[in-house]
Amino acid sequence: MKTYFKLAWRNLWRNKRRSLITIASIFFGVFFAIFLSSIQKGSFENILENMVKFYSGYIQIQGEKYKDNKSLNQSFEDNDLLRGKVASETNVTHFASRIESFALSAFKDQTYAAVVLGIEPAQENQISEISKWISQGTYFTKSNEVNGVLIGSQLAENLGIGVNDTLVLIGQGYHGQTAAGKFPVLGLLKFPLPDLNKQMIYMSLESARNFYSMPDRSTSMVLMVDNVDKIDKTIDHLEQAIDKNLKVYSWKEIQPELENFIQGKLAGGKIMKGILFMVIGFGIWGTIIMLMAERKRELGIIIALGVRKIRVMRIIVLESFLIGFIGVVIGSITSLPLVSYLYLHPVHVSGSIKETYESMGFEPVLKFSIHPDNFISPAITVFILFTAITLYAVWYIARLKTASALRA
Amino acid sequence: MKVIEIKDLVKIYNSSEVQVKAVNGINLDFEEGEFAAVVGPSGSGKTTFLNMVGGLDRPTSGEVIVGGTNIWELKSRKLIDFRLRNIGFVFQAYNLIPVLTARENVEFIMHLQGRDKHERNQRVNELLTAVGLGERMESRPSKLSGGQQQRVAVARALASKPKFILADEPTANLDSKSTENLLDMMEKLNKEENITFIFSTHDARVVKKARRVITLDDGKVTSDEKK
Ligand SMILES: Nc1ncnc2c1ncn2[C@@H]1O[C@H](COP(=O)(O)OP(=O)(O)OP(=O)(O)O)[C@@H](O)[C@H]1O
Ligand SMILES: [Mg+2]
Repeated sequence: MKTYFKLAWRNLWRNKRRSLITIASIFFGVFFAIFLSSIQKGSFENILENMVKFYSGYIQIQGEKYKDNKSLNQSFEDNDLLRGKVASETNVTHFASRIESFALSAFKDQTYAAVVLGIEPAQENQISEISKWISQGTYFTKSNEVNGVLIGSQLAENLGIGVNDTLVLIGQGYHGQTAAGKFPVLGLLKFPLPDLNKQMIYMSLESARNFYSMPDRSTSMVLMVDNVDKIDKTIDHLEQAIDKNLKVYSWKEIQPELENFIQGKLAGGKIMKGILFMVIGFGIWGTIIMLMAERKRELGIIIALGVRKIRVMRIIVLESFLIGFIGVVIGSITSLPLVSYLYLHPVHVSGSIKETYESMGFEPVLKFSIHPDNFISPAITVFILFTAITLYAVWYIARLKTASALRA
Repeated sequence: MKVIEIKDLVKIYNSSEVQVKAVNGINLDFEEGEFAAVVGPSGSGKTTFLNMVGGLDRPTSGEVIVGGTNIWELKSRKLIDFRLRNIGFVFQAYNLIPVLTARENVEFIMHLQGRDKHERNQRVNELLTAVGLGERMESRPSKLSGGQQQRVAVARALASKPKFILADEPTANLDSKSTENLLDMMEKLNKEENITFIFSTHDARVVKKARRVITLDDGKVTSDEKK
């Protein structure tokens, strides 16, 4: 074995420039693939986390028909039995109920349509961290949550309303009852997403239930989980445990466009990496073809001397795997510190990317993932590539005729 | 004692339309300790003949019997092992593994045979000294002259203690001085160690040294003279 390794190793350096170019091409491929996976996974995790936290939760419980008909009439009875079942589900870390509806908001002579969200202030803040967007005033506290509202900054500006002013809301409650009320403004919210600033009004779940005349009812319950990979299992459990008239959805069902977006981008990345490795693969294949042709006579001689073909194959396979291995190792090792650095220090973007991010309501930063998959999958790809390429070499040696190789 | 018996050896190449009878019915015996030259014009079948005797090129028909074994009845893996243990080869040029030093090239064969390190070292020293390269053992082939490379090749061929050595135009790429050196060395090994050499050549000076001259023409033996 030592002899074969020695042979393979020295052959590797026989044509230094060629070996280095081959190694460099693998290195760049691996490096680029790791970088791409890292930035893709990083941004998708970021997007997913943001969207899930802010909108859907990982799991949502709703009334049977609410998904297709978002009316208060499709709300459900949010009782202790249900909350107990949800709380006892081990994968569930946080949960909070919401009432989502509409109302006309008015202050002095201004009137604007608004989305009213009734939330459980403490629980909701653990999930969607609304309080971090407070630009003026304060978030709900136990003493003020009974009757106050938080209002989007743009809506406040449009209405000409400020903190401590009293907002008037008029809407339609549960089963057509009139909803009307006065609410002191506790604080203004400045979200990165302009649409939200223009239309959001938050109040406590209790206030919303009073306002819409729907005691003990909610339109949705949002659940956060510990292990994202076990969402389907958790949903199964919940479906078994709770009232059959309730529906349990995953974030993918609530936000199918998000799932499609992520899958689409991931597929795009895979195609890009696929093409990249294909180009590299053909390059290496070309090198191996050249290498075998150049060495035909030499191979003939060592077979003539009495080296079994299987051993000759081993030398060649070892040699080409050494090239691949060195490329992968250098590529992984050099990308590791870079990706780790970027993971710890996300890049603040500017220009159109910044706008895109802000329009989706995210911080305009590029996040990177340091998931081991990012490193393992390029390595596996290169390994498969080299297996395919050395298969060629093995085939070449298998059909090599000693006598004609010697005449080469 | 007979080392090799060759019976009705034929090789027909079927390249495209034309059929080439490269070797066309050769019957020969070789005794232990022979120093035999195979001569003949270009294309007369010397290489084809030696390759078949050495187990490198399968005959169309006929037998090559080495020490009682019909080598072409062996399975190809067995045949490779048989070559390793019984036949030494010296080719025309670029015989050596370029990435190995002279010492490693000679050692390589013994390594394949599974000889232990001590034995290998001793024999490599002995052989390279015998071919006059005791000083150049650590050089790679590219640092050696053509003649020196051929001498390393002879040392390597001897390393496995073969029954005989086949050499296809071993001096073709050498100048006359190196040719004479190599031949003297081979002759010495032949005389002192009773090693059987069969070599092909175009070179009249090489032919002169041979004690048996087999002439081929058109794949047939036209004369077989022993001196
Ligand atoms: N692989 C092959 N396919 C077809 N014909 C071949 C092949 N190898 C050799 N021949 C033919 O067989 C004949 C004998 O060739 P061989 O190489 O044995 O001659 P040689 O005596 O060694 O010639 P030289 O002195 O030039 O080396 C030639 O006519 C050659 O063209
Ligand atoms: Mg020839």
